[in-house]
Amino acid sequence: MQDYKHIGKDFVPPDIAGKVTGEGKYTEDIHAEGMVFARLYTSPMPHGRVTRIDTSAIENMKGIVGVLTADDVPAPEVPDPPILTNHPVYLGEPILAVAAEHESIAEAALARIRVDIEPLPFVVDPLDSVVEGGPNARDEGNIFVRFGEGAGFHTVKWTPEQVAEFRAGKEPSGEFLQEWSYGDLEKGFADAEVILEEPFVTAGYPHMSMEPRTAMAYWEGDTCYVYASSQSQSYWMPGLAKLLDIEQDKLVLVSEYTGGGFGSKFAPYPAAALPGWFSKKVGRPVQLHISREQEFYIGSARAGFQGRIKIGFAKNGRVTAADVAIVEDIGPMTASGNTSAAGGAISVVYDPEAMRWRGLPVITNTTPRGAQRGPGQNQIAAVMAPLIDKAARLLGIDRLEIRKLNATDSSTTVYAEQAPVTSAYLEEALTKGAVEFDWANRSAAPRLRGNVVRGLGIGQAYHSTGVTGYDGLVRITPDGVVHLHSGVGNLGTYSYASVTRAAAEVLKCDWEDCVIHHGRTDRHLPWNSSQAGSNTTFTQTRTNYVAAVDAVAKMKSVAAESLGGSADDYEIDGERVFLRANSGRNMTYAAIAQRAIELGGAYSGQNAPEDINGVTRRAVQALSGTGLIGVAKDTLPQNGIIPGLAVAFVEIELDLETGKYNILDYACVAECGTVVHPQGLSAQMIGGAVWGMGMAGLEKHVYDPQNGLPAHVGFNQCRIPTYLDTPPAIRSSAVDLPDPQNPVGARGIGEPAMGCAAAAVMAAISDALDGHTFSRTPVTPDMIVNHVANRAMSFKPLQTNSF
Amino acid sequence: MATFDVMPDVRLYQPTTLGDALALADEYRELGWLFGGGQDTYGWLKDRVKRPQALIDLNGVGELRGIEALDSGIEIGAVTTLREILADEVVARDFGLLRDAASRVASPQIRNVGTLGGNLVQDARCWYYRRGLDCYRAGGNICYADGPQAMNREHAVFGASRCVAVSPSDTATALVALDAVMRVKSLDGERLVPAAKFFVGPDRGITRMTALKPGELLVSVKIPDDWAGAKFHFEKVADRNVFDFALVSIASALRLEDGVIDDCRLVLGGVACTPHRLHDVERAATGEIPSETLANQLAEAASQGAQPLNYNHFKIPLMQNLVKKVLRG
Amino acid sequence: MKLPHSRRRFIQGAIASSVATSGCSAQRSANTEAAASEVSTEPLELRINGRSHSCTVPPQETLARTLRDELELTGTKVGCNRGECGTCTVLIDGVPNYACSTLTHSVRGRNVTTIEGLRDADGALHPVQQAFIDELAPQCGFCTPGQVMVAVALLSENPDPSREEVRQALSGNICRCGAYEHYINGVLRAAKTAV
Repeated sequence: MQDYKHIGKDFVPPDIAGKVTGEGKYTEDIHAEGMVFARLYTSPMPHGRVTRIDTSAIENMKGIVGVLTADDVPAPEVPDPPILTNHPVYLGEPILAVAAEHESIAEAALARIRVDIEPLPFVVDPLDSVVEGGPNARDEGNIFVRFGEGAGFHTVKWTPEQVAEFRAGKEPSGEFLQEWSYGDLEKGFADAEVILEEPFVTAGYPHMSMEPRTAMAYWEGDTCYVYASSQSQSYWMPGLAKLLDIEQDKLVLVSEYTGGGFGSKFAPYPAAALPGWFSKKVGRPVQLHISREQEFYIGSARAGFQGRIKIGFAKNGRVTAADVAIVEDIGPMTASGNTSAAGGAISVVYDPEAMRWRGLPVITNTTPRGAQRGPGQNQIAAVMAPLIDKAARLLGIDRLEIRKLNATDSSTTVYAEQAPVTSAYLEEALTKGAVEFDWANRSAAPRLRGNVVRGLGIGQAYHSTGVTGYDGLVRITPDGVVHLHSGVGNLGTYSYASVTRAAAEVLKCDWEDCVIHHGRTDRHLPWNSSQAGSNTTFTQTRTNYVAAVDAVAKMKSVAAESLGGSADDYEIDGERVFLRANSGRNMTYAAIAQRAIELGGAYSGQNAPEDINGVTRRAVQALSGTGLIGVAKDTLPQNGIIPGLAVAFVEIELDLETGKYNILDYACVAECGTVVHPQGLSAQMIGGAVWGMGMAGLEKHVYDPQNGLPAHVGFNQCRIPTYLDTPPAIRSSAVDLPDPQNPVGARGIGEPAMGCAAAAVMAAISDALDGHTFSRTPVTPDMIVNHVANRAMSFKPLQTNSF
Repeated sequence: MATFDVMPDVRLYQPTTLGDALALADEYRELGWLFGGGQDTYGWLKDRVKRPQALIDLNGVGELRGIEALDSGIEIGAVTTLREILADEVVARDFGLLRDAASRVASPQIRNVGTLGGNLVQDARCWYYRRGLDCYRAGGNICYADGPQAMNREHAVFGASRCVAVSPSDTATALVALDAVMRVKSLDGERLVPAAKFFVGPDRGITRMTALKPGELLVSVKIPDDWAGAKFHFEKVADRNVFDFALVSIASALRLEDGVIDDCRLVLGGVACTPHRLHDVERAATGEIPSETLANQLAEAASQGAQPLNYNHFKIPLMQNLVKKVLRG
Repeated sequence: MKLPHSRRRFIQGAIASSVATSGCSAQRSANTEAAASEVSTEPLELRINGRSHSCTVPPQETLARTLRDELELTGTKVGCNRGECGTCTVLIDGVPNYACSTLTHSVRGRNVTTIEGLRDADGALHPVQQAFIDELAPQCGFCTPGQVMVAVALLSENPDPSREEVRQALSGNICRCGAYEHYINGVLRAAKTAV
């Protein structure tokens, strides 16, 4: 393994002190001079049309500064979510905002405003919309395909018989609009010794980050300053500028601290643009405070699945065929959908010899859905694990062995396209986890103690973890300081900082002495990817690498121009550039930077590469002449899917009489290439584990179908796992084998960290109940108690958004 | 739909004597809101679901605080915090049932300030009611939780009468099992109300959860010696192990003589609008030796008469199982 | 760029106007002696982090709001404002409380400690804060001040807690990032360094 100075070592991120001292400023902590306070008036019903807004009662209220309605903001192209609407499609959708000198005045005003809304038909369970005669959640139809063939709205209806057969887990004959496949499915099932067919449900539930997404904005001339709770940094610029209807060079986005995202803030959302419009209207800085309840409404949620899977296994346990069909609850705002990703995850984790995926993304009048930690991959991970176990039992194969047999390796081809992977070591992860968990002995130990039974589970999960084509930017100033510009958002992974260590590695400098620029676009940040899809580590170690390589090349050229010879004759180390043949002939980085300014041109950013993004170009322009600029677009070779893989082993103790279980032990292994930041990796693996435990046992949407009211709005009802719902100790480790397509060998991990936990816990519950598969997340105590007592479940088959 | 987050304008009284507190309670009656820890107060006000004119903070009233040994048993002031109860040696020695119940209330911070009185008189957790809908309990004429498709996993299987909300208090079941007596005062004087009668169902008062009338104040809870040192069991089944209210809970006390049940109390929480005492099971168990057989014999009696709603029939096996845990010995 | 600025000067006028428009003009007034116990909006003496502050606080105001808006102590974050997450935890006479669910007028004469009050006289971090850095305990950091405060209270009562005691003591604080393991390790590390 390569000997790194920074990669694979822990470090103190520059922002962490602000977190433990409370000195870090989240958006709501920042008050601009003259700022006023805005609050939202939202739809009280799941679907309706505003017929009248009467604000006369507040016109003369002291302290009221203004009212903003849908007429004051641009209407986006359907189906993009509006900032404010007169045609709400979910309960809690913002209709108008009031700004006042004080929040209590704004709230008093909200109570006096009259909004008349004509109710329209609504639906909270996709199958209730898909059935003939069922309501459409939107006027445009009940299906929305975001990408690819058939993109747009559709109306799809199944006969009651078709819905009934789907609910019963039979081969669906109703129309699915999306499909892909590979291999010979028929042959796969013909070759199978065991075929399992199961209907399944995975519940949607809200992200519920700790920080409600407050936003604040003001204008200086024609430049808008937006302070927002954002997962990403540079990535927000095009979308946010579009929402504000301004050019990107007239927008400054400040987001130094963000109280969690998990996918819900990866791209700019309408509420982040509202203060900009409001500030323009009232001529003062405006802060929009979002309450916890409103965070539930507008903060987005995971898509729910109602599906059916058929999966075939050869006698030796090899998966011969998988056929999955999923009706998906995409909420009202036509999210992009998770189910193709779910199908893809099956292809990566279990590598079926043949496979078909079908999807039907159905619109409902529930809260808007968006990407949530492993969108699709993690739901299906939780569904698959108990089924794999069921097959293992039927075939008499150890549950670990069947997973190893089907495990992806570097030669596996995945997805419909049967694309290659950059590298994959899933079997190594399983082997490592089994040793650390002591699987062999524990799976042989006795299970039952009175009414308490132990259950063991193994979980596996995957997410693609990288993209290419983003830019890197580093700078060395004449004082010798290395500046690492990170356009990565700060959502709590510390990856904005860890990826810059790849640049320090190339520059052979002490990262601790570098200045990391991040958190405000006016700190001149490069075009970087969204902080989503577990991709930052792979993607931005590459951008930092190419920028640093560019800087090194320029430093050598500057040295050659100054000391003679050609650039190739020079080497760097110890923050000096020296002649390889005579290290006495050298220049410090400080001197190089000074000389770069004198030489100008590309050396100091007077001109920049053609292929970089406008965001980076503007940053380089702003920095030009201040030092030696290293800037480049990541055009390093890249071929195939970049897998992030994780496995988990869990032991639970389930009380058959109460339906409650304790998670006694949990050990997980990351397979994400070279470990860049050990503590950060552990934080992701363990945080992901907590999320997975929430998915498996606690979190779900509940809606009353009679009136569309959501029952699970606050923290108490959303049931985020607490200290006492998670094991007393969690162990995490990593395979730590380098990926050949990343300059430091790294891939990402944040999302599979969760999926493997959800899968392992689901498998352990099933194990404790003699292999019974609920095929539904979450599995709550009431379900377990009913199962043990041989009673029917309260919900009807495939019912969703319910208890 | 307006959503509120700031406390509304309201008067605040912080009396320091019981006399002043009673005078204020009498003066404001339904328009006053008495509170101790306030952990079931601020949310109601912030959400504008309840609109009292005056908050009456009882924390400064010394007569309402503390745990005192009586000739027989103990007396706990209504604004004694759960934290204080958890730290009390006599409670731990004699009335472990109350300690165990108090230890499962909400979260550490809520137990730090939450009072025994507040935990006992807290309002129903029905999510429809908490949302501010115009249901029976809120003075309207409908129950949203009892509709044909209503979402009512957490609701009652016993004693429903228009309203189907359940008693959410963890300590209430324990105190009913311990035959506690509530000391209730008003300007008109004092009355003693047995715990079993203190909690009222919707048939007796649909807009309140207790026997307290406007102007009255729960002063203290007396726990007699009758059950001191008995064999106790408290178990709360909730989705999460912090914050959440019981799906079903059980508080029980068995007095054993030579291994035979001499007398017993079994009280369920989360199944009815009041703590639900299992009189039939108690009678049948008395004189028996705890055993698996006895547990299996009597468990079914626990759920006799239960009328489940759409999503809560799991409470039937769950309450049976909790009764089994008690009678198994 | 405009610097963050106090909103204090808005408060006075705002309170006056919101009272005037609250629609509660028909309030009953207690006419007994008990009425003397009514809290007024006279300036209130608060003792925060060892310093006295005199401020005008409406009777219904929560401590979280006073700290953040009146005293500009924004280290106390508000996650739900309903006592359901622990983010806003502060210490009152050393005991953890949800500041969103505490009336400011109820802490008169008591010692309030917030995250801003933990550094020692030389400005050094509290051992819990340092240990949380060492363990990379915070992720997004929004719940961190609350986690720190509970941990500080625990260690002052119990300098050598078991892992289970730490877990129980911190259980009233939710972390959506799921960093519980790292927080527990941080508290145990702080306990060790303090010893």
